[in-house]
Amino acid sequence: MPAIDVRALSKSFAGRRAVEGLSFSVEAGECFGLLGPNGAGKTTTLRMLAGLFGPDQGSATVAGCGIRPREGASRELRRKVGLLTELPGFYDRLDANENLVHFGRLYGLSRTDARARSARFLERFLLAAHAHKPFAALSRGMKQKLAIARALLHEPEVVLLDEPTVGLDPEATREVRTVVGELRREGRTIVLCTHDLDEVERLCARAAFVATRLIAIHEVAAVQRGRVHVDLAAPSAGAAPALRNLPVVREVTQEGLRLHVELAALDGVPDVVAALVACGARVAAVQPVRDPLEEAYMAVLAEARGRGLLS
Amino acid sequence: MRGAFLLLSKELTELRRSPVLVLSMLSLPTAMVAVPLLLVAWLDRAAPPETLYWLREVYRIDLQGPGGLIGVLVAAVAKNWLPLFLVMPVFLPILMAAQSVGGERERRTLEPLLATPISTAEIVLGKSLAAVVPSLAVTWVAAALLCLGLDLIAAGRMGPVPMPDASWLFGCLLLCPLLALFGNALAVVVSCRVLDSRAAQNLAAMTVLPLLGLVVAQIMGRLALGTSFYLWFALGTAVSDGLLILLAVKWFDREALLTRWR
Repeated sequence: MPAIDVRALSKSFAGRRAVEGLSFSVEAGECFGLLGPNGAGKTTTLRMLAGLFGPDQGSATVAGCGIRPREGASRELRRKVGLLTELPGFYDRLDANENLVHFGRLYGLSRTDARARSARFLERFLLAAHAHKPFAALSRGMKQKLAIARALLHEPEVVLLDEPTVGLDPEATREVRTVVGELRREGRTIVLCTHDLDEVERLCARAAFVATRLIAIHEVAAVQRGRVHVDLAAPSAGAAPALRNLPVVREVTQEGLRLHVELAALDGVPDVVAALVACGARVAAVQPVRDPLEEAYMAVLAEARGRGLLS
Repeated sequence: MRGAFLLLSKELTELRRSPVLVLSMLSLPTAMVAVPLLLVAWLDRAAPPETLYWLREVYRIDLQGPGGLIGVLVAAVAKNWLPLFLVMPVFLPILMAAQSVGGERERRTLEPLLATPISTAEIVLGKSLAAVVPSLAVTWVAAALLCLGLDLIAAGRMGPVPMPDASWLFGCLLLCPLLALFGNALAVVVSCRVLDSRAAQNLAAMTVLPLLGLVVAQIMGRLALGTSFYLWFALGTAVSDGLLILLAVKWFDREALLTRWR
């Protein structure tokens, strides 16, 4: 059973359709990307999945809790979901620790548990030295990490991240991505809403392209896992035939000194290199093929514009 | 109701750390206490004869009434100052409660707050307590200081403790809490509909105008605010409080608060 199952979800605001007939599912433990231009309905979708408000039509199940039209926001759902909002709103006059303890208690933790978990997350996100600084005195990256800590304090089954690295400098971006990567390795179900295609390539197995409605679901990891470029230092007639004999290789094409190799999995790369060396080829470089996510994204945008879904 | 008390505790912590808001809350009570005390003390001890003549002629005050001059002055403050004093428990909660929802929105804390399992009733109650409790505390301390000051000025020349009299006890113990609830509930209702906290504050503050009108009418002698008026006033305020609190919970629309920008 998927951790998130969205079926024909629709939502309008003041007559403007924000989300229309959106359907997708996310498996437990999967990191799922939600991509789309501004105004595509990504944040609205996350807010519905977080139980902030209900859809006009359609339904969804998140961590076993149903979301249906004209139903009040479910408290049970909100207990099971951690939401990272686009901007890390905290109370300026409380320090980092007090803010976390306050939100932990609102999520139902006892004072003792909230304090213990706050200390643990501040330590984990390297914020312990800043625990007693007022929120306003923290850097943008620290604020964002604090917001991620808030989303995780109550140990949610599903984590919804809305633009986790927007507006951050490269160092802070890297720190936040490291944190998200850790969450993924812990096996949490994550929905990552972002404009950053590189982020999706690094963190997600699949991504949905949305422009009010679902346009396509892209298998990010499958493409990344399967394709490598091998650059040879000198021409070699035997290189391509040698690779075709390997069980891990699905397909090989040659273009000058570059071999395009499609593998069953990226862990077949050492076999590829060994086979090339054995046949006398001189290997200059082996590079995983970058996922053509940007191209796919642009194609999706063009399609969405063609269908009148975007201006 | 656990969530409401968590919000109250957080708001009181923030209030303690906000000297500007505390000062703005204390300025009105300070004036409400200092002005009548200084005036009575001056009239009693140092006013020139022409001022007393003016009081007698213009306000038709019998300065030879029971208790002598000080008795007349204390009675005048007890009668005329109470309606003005009652503006305070309406106004102070408005200062705080108008910020309640709009302020959360402006600080971007509304969405994280609504993402927690807290209920709408808990949010409204928590925000209301956070506005009413400190406002009422300040009002009661101000009333106690005013009464104590008048008692000290009149010490030995009137009965043992002239203030608080029955009307002030009724006003402080019943009307002040009802009016504080009214000011707060009105500010929360306005704050739910008008998302700019400053606009909400200004709109809600306009509710003190009818009260000020009553005060002016009383001072001008056009209206005598007696026992029956205060009883009906208390009843009307209590009914209004109930209706406004219900309206605040009904109008607290999570979706509109997150997605509407005007």
